Amino acid sequence: MMANLMAGGEQRRRAAALQDAGAFVVAPFVREASWTAPALWRFCLALGLSLFVFTQTGFAADASADFAAANKLYAEGKFAEAATAYEKIIATGTQSPALLFNAGNAECKAGHLGQAIAAYRQAELLAPRDAELRANLAFVRNQVQGATLRESRWQNWVGSLTLNEGALLTAAFFWAMFALLAARQIRPALAPKLQSATRLAVVLTILSGAVLALQAANHFDSSVAVVTSAETTARSGPFDEAQSVFSARDGAELKVLDRHDDWVQVANNAGKIGWLSRKQVAVLPGA
Amino acid sequence: MRLTLKTLAMLLAALLPGAAWAASFTASLDRDALTLGESATLSLAFEGGSPGRVPAPSVPGLQIAQAGTSQNMSWINGAMSATVTVSFSVTPQRAGEFTIPALTADVGGQQLSTAPLKLIVSRASAPSAAAVNSGSEVAFLKLNFPKQKVYAGEAIVARLELYLRDDVQNFGNFQITSSPTDGFSAGKTAELQNQRRRVQVGNRVYTEIPLAVPLTAVKTGALALGPFTASAVVVLPSQNQNDPFAAFRGEQKQVTLATETLNIESLPLPEQNRPANFTGAVGQFDFAASAGPTAVTVGDPITVRVQVSGRGALDAITLPVQDAWQNFKTYPPTTKLETTDQFGFQGTKTFEQIISPLNNDVHELPALTFSFFNPEDARYHTLTQPAVPLTVKAAGATVLPQMAASKTTNEEKPAQDILPIKENLGTLAPATEPLVTRPLFLVTQTVPVLAFLAAFVWRKRADNLANNPRLRRQRAVAALLASGKDDLKKYAAENKPDEFFATLFRLLQEQLGERLNCPASAITEDVVDGHALLRNAPATLRTALHEQFQLCNQARYAPVRGSSELDSVAAQFEKLISQLREVRA
Repeated sequence: MMANLMAGGEQRRRAAALQDAGAFVVAPFVREASWTAPALWRFCLALGLSLFVFTQTGFAADASADFAAANKLYAEGKFAEAATAYEKIIATGTQSPALLFNAGNAECKAGHLGQAIAAYRQAELLAPRDAELRANLAFVRNQVQGATLRESRWQNWVGSLTLNEGALLTAAFFWAMFALLAARQIRPALAPKLQSATRLAVVLTILSGAVLALQAANHFDSSVAVVTSAETTARSGPFDEAQSVFSARDGAELKVLDRHDDWVQVANNAGKIGWLSRKQVAVLPGA
Repeated sequence: MRLTLKTLAMLLAALLPGAAWAASFTASLDRDALTLGESATLSLAFEGGSPGRVPAPSVPGLQIAQAGTSQNMSWINGAMSATVTVSFSVTPQRAGEFTIPALTADVGGQQLSTAPLKLIVSRASAPSAAAVNSGSEVAFLKLNFPKQKVYAGEAIVARLELYLRDDVQNFGNFQITSSPTDGFSAGKTAELQNQRRRVQVGNRVYTEIPLAVPLTAVKTGALALGPFTASAVVVLPSQNQNDPFAAFRGEQKQVTLATETLNIESLPLPEQNRPANFTGAVGQFDFAASAGPTAVTVGDPITVRVQVSGRGALDAITLPVQDAWQNFKTYPPTTKLETTDQFGFQGTKTFEQIISPLNNDVHELPALTFSFFNPEDARYHTLTQPAVPLTVKAAGATVLPQMAASKTTNEEKPAQDILPIKENLGTLAPATEPLVTRPLFLVTQTVPVLAFLAAFVWRKRADNLANNPRLRRQRAVAALLASGKDDLKKYAAENKPDEFFATLFRLLQEQLGERLNCPASAITEDVVDGHALLRNAPATLRTALHEQFQLCNQARYAPVRGSSELDSVAAQFEKLISQLREVRA
């Protein structure tokens, strides 16, 4: 028994040393007696956490290397290759504002204004208050020829928070409001002291909820199609033979009204409505 | 058609077998002189037999088309004769002298030929003034052009007047067959509504029907306008005195009309004093402009609406380039033309141009100018709309480093390039759905609501208890009994009868006191029969209560009992307590 305990202690020390060294291994469990339910649960939890941390750390290391490689391509002036490299990282399902920002830069330098705007807009969803991002987006928009959709003032205003930030802010006020209301029930003596705070929490909850509703409406119902081909023709129906209604240039942002198979119905800022093939546009959620 | 005629001819031949000996074939024109635009009728008559094949005449420069067939049968002195006549419409394509050659046909087995026919086609020309004044012309056409000299780009409406003599009962099929307007851009000719009138021309009264021809001079130099030619069919009173219906039917006559040729001089626009922003607008115009919104952020769109209204070639007007807009990004303007006359020369052309300020040093939309040439006074005019004050804010915190850096050198220059890439990848996160669509997030939001509801219920129950002393006592007794039962078991186990029965008696007093709503100290065995509530209780309960009280009393004097007996008493007590709780007032 004593020998087993000593052996178990040695294994734990080794595992701790390995973990200190940066390696993530499954914490060893010495079977000193039969498996109990809590022990099994702890084992599964530890296994899951270790696997998660291991995979995340490994993936982050890979992505950082790929990101650096793409940055190098950009610095060498190989913008199209850099854009492809950034896209590969994005295609893995993870993203960061910097990654999308750099992808937008590479697309812009490669002459793909629509792709650049699409990348910047996606980055803006994650970091709406990034000054550099907004500057580059404004710059690229200025390069777009022809009329394009411009966001309204209220869209710009609600777009200064991400949808998740809005949701968390609203949730915080919501929780605070009910916490104060519950405290008033539990300690009625505190009710007069908590009255102002409770009212403030109620007002803030309503206001933040309204902003969140606007954000959600903008995000889900105000999708934008960014033209990614040099010039595209909007047609009167969702098929190639339909009559042309208007044309839009690379980078033009159009309001999405409807979708049908591989076509999206869009409206330009002049109010003209037409159908565009999805191959020619990038459809993005509202800000 | 030929088959039909052949069939008809064969039918006639079958019906008239005896007519073969008198066969003849003749060709004739209803007129031998035409003016260009008129038509003549060629008739081929087959008499005394049927044609094997009707010949189709073909003459270069003449358009000959079969118009119909008629037949005629007659008896003269007992002899019957039959004639089949095939008609052709002959329309000349050009002026000149034409010959319709001899035609040959097989009629009743005989080869017969016609004589050649001559047709002279002359160009239409305007009637002489003498002919017009004499009233000999049934109809004539006149072209009026208001000026002898025009400027290139000037829009003018020419007037084409159709005159019909007063004896013309009706007219129709009016067609302008030629309208030479070299050097002019011509619009659609249309009748001027409500302007028909009767005028005296020479010896006769004519009805004047005016038509408008919108023209815009597009060339300079000597231009020839006309002759315009037209054809029409007029209805005149019948000259046939034997026709009783002549007064009703009239006599149709095709007329060819032509105008004189007008020589117009088209002048180039003067080079002298030509404004720099002149874009070719010729006419008389007014100019209005507006812009909005006037409080914007850098990059925001401003809509500039420019309206040019007046008379002239509105179609050709373009918005002049505004050199003073170098601090704005401009987009191609949209145009809308609204005309108020039928020729498109009068109305308003509206331009809408989107511009956006490139920096926040812009304080106004510079004055807008529009220049045009007025052919009436032969001068250029420049109209100016005053500058529109603007409030342009910087685009939030978005300050471009290039712009910031360039502030020391040239503040007005817009960004020349995008900002460089970021070296730090930052925190990578999986592309997930927004929180508001995740069920876990939404379910989590019910936690504070449930916590509040729990606190609310707890508060209500606490308030209820505080306001109900009976309930409070009930709960206190229940708690006392819960602990008392444990004590009883303990004392029974330790075989301590004195403590056991003292506790039992106290618990009995507390429970009965709570049930009977009286102080516990006032409870004795007498209440079992004395209190109304217990008097109405089952007899077994009362008996059990008596027994419990008596056991407690006996315990003070009786010898010590064993643990098993105490356990039995405790069990009876528990049963008694549960029965007591069921007693209702």
